Amino acid sequence: MSSLRSALALDRLGSVIAVLIGIALFASPFVVYRANRIVAGEGRMLADALPPPGAVGVMIVALGVALCAALIRAPLIRLAAATIGLCAIFPAVGFSAGFVTPPGNTFARVSPSLGFWLLALAFALLAADALTRLRLGPWARLAALAVAAGAIGLLLASGAWNDLSLLKEYASRADTFWREAREHLWLAFGSMVAACLVGLPLGILGHRVPRLRDAILQGLNIVQTIPSIALFGILIAPLGYLAAHVPLAAALGIRGIGAAPAFIALFLYSLLPVVANTVTGLKQVPPAVTDAARGMGLSARQRLWQVELPLALPVILTGIRIVLVQNLGLATVAALIGGGGFGTFVFQGIGQTAIDLVLLGAIPTVALSFAAAIILDAVVDLTRRGSP
Amino acid sequence: MIEIEHLSKRYGATIVVDDVSLRIDEGTITVVVGTSGAGKSTLLRMINRLVEPSQGRVLIDGQDTMAIPEDQLRHRIGYVIQGYGLFPHRTVAENIATVPRLLGWDKRKIAARVEELLDLFQLDPAEFANKFPHELSGGQQQRVGVARALAARPAVLLMDEPFGALDPVIRSKAQDDLVAIQRRLGTTVVLVTHDMNEAFQLGDRIAVMDQARLLQYATPAELLTRPAEAFVEQLVGTAERPFRLLSLRTVREALESGHAEGEPIPVTDSLRDALSRLIWAGRDALPVADKSGALVGRISVQGIVAHGRAAP
Repeated sequence: MSSLRSALALDRLGSVIAVLIGIALFASPFVVYRANRIVAGEGRMLADALPPPGAVGVMIVALGVALCAALIRAPLIRLAAATIGLCAIFPAVGFSAGFVTPPGNTFARVSPSLGFWLLALAFALLAADALTRLRLGPWARLAALAVAAGAIGLLLASGAWNDLSLLKEYASRADTFWREAREHLWLAFGSMVAACLVGLPLGILGHRVPRLRDAILQGLNIVQTIPSIALFGILIAPLGYLAAHVPLAAALGIRGIGAAPAFIALFLYSLLPVVANTVTGLKQVPPAVTDAARGMGLSARQRLWQVELPLALPVILTGIRIVLVQNLGLATVAALIGGGGFGTFVFQGIGQTAIDLVLLGAIPTVALSFAAAIILDAVVDLTRRGSP
Repeated sequence: MIEIEHLSKRYGATIVVDDVSLRIDEGTITVVVGTSGAGKSTLLRMINRLVEPSQGRVLIDGQDTMAIPEDQLRHRIGYVIQGYGLFPHRTVAENIATVPRLLGWDKRKIAARVEELLDLFQLDPAEFANKFPHELSGGQQQRVGVARALAARPAVLLMDEPFGALDPVIRSKAQDDLVAIQRRLGTTVVLVTHDMNEAFQLGDRIAVMDQARLLQYATPAELLTRPAEAFVEQLVGTAERPFRLLSLRTVREALESGHAEGEPIPVTDSLRDALSRLIWAGRDALPVADKSGALVGRISVQGIVAHGRAAP
């Protein structure tokens, strides 16, 4: 009896998720319809957003997931429920766009609305909670990420979302989108690699020479407190001067505005996490281990490569994870000074009050940061060889 | 053979090791004992040049250690510290293979050596070779630490409080194992400890240090019967003295002819163990048996007690 009671007891997070689903279904529009891309829109409740069988189907699935979230604790079942929910609403919102748009109307725009976003949030929360409780190993987490990415890729490729406003924005800018994507990745990854090339030796130096360590870390701390736009501004003058007076610099594409100051700013912001984590990682290598290594005749270089760096690697990678996630976000701001990247769409969209254009820049940025965090977390776990 | 000649170490105005000279014979265990801060670890670390001497020199088999590049010198000298310093990211087998790998042994030779050492230290290779240090008990970690130090067959093994982190039961087993392995391999061992009992149990010779100076360097029996200074006498412990002496001598030395009733005592036991048996059995004398179990004589309380003081 008591086991039955505990099995059916309300789950706290699950109850919140169930309430969210209730609000999404009964009190929020599923999609929003606009006559063209910049006017205010009107919401469509689920019943008006899909043909009756589809609306009823989505309703039944969502209510089922809500019940499951509130009452069932087994993480595998919760994960399955969340997955079914996501598999129902993602294609549904694409189908709804085709259903709501009047035939032959090319100006009308349909976007997901509060109801869809709440459902997606509720299902994603449920999935994330279940995945946490399952305590998946690093390979399983990477596999889960790959499956999710594959599913979204499939949806995009199948054309099921082509009637959504977001993809209409994409369709009219496909070339620019991929160019800005390359620019965004180049800014984020390039500055990260540069920061590692400079930061790792700096960190090792700081570990060896304590007096230098304080100076280096304090200097980088100050850089970190400068707001990004201010740092771009500070860099404009010296880079402009450089471009005007050094032909080589100009030939390399270095100018006061554009990608160069953005790259340098991201690089400077990246240094602190890399250097600080390198120092911390090296410091936590047990003294007995380095003493034994020295006593067995490992040279300074052998100690660094065979003992100190491998033991510090998880902490250093945690720093690189911070850098990458931070850079993928900050690179958006680079668009303000003509640096390119997904920020270009965000600021254009703000200028045109076209919210879907903003999302065209924002969603890939968030997705990239999210994926980078999961991948690097898994890599950090994989490098923790021999720790309990 | 290790010859330490007028070795000193100064840090600024502080003298940590003050003009120490001693000769360590090949194939023996020498224990350096003293209170903490006496300079014994520094003395040990000057042998493999982890600490560079301020003055004096160390000769190993007649060769000045300063003439050998320090990493090469250390490849030839085993080194075990308290806490062992096993590499946490490497398996037991990889840890043991450290120095052979540095020396560029080929893989098959390394694998064979690792297996041989695991067997020697009673660690089943199939079970332990691929474990990580954090999966081992303290006693197992200690054995891996010593095995790693012996991997490249060094003639000299330096040990700095190697049993300090073990609980008493495991410690005495580990000490016995060390002596057995040392006798078998003939390694020259220099061991630093602050534990007098350990010094008496392990040392062929004991070097007593205090405040950077070497006070006395002698066999355990000499240390007990002819302490060079009041400090040595105090460190040895006047109340313990007779019992320490008895534990250094065997039943053979106090063997009497004649016969006694009761459970026979092995002729190889220490006099201390024999006295303990006599007291417990409530007898004045017990028979003594040799290895084969044949009775060879008897031992008495009087006979033992006479050996518990310096020879007149």
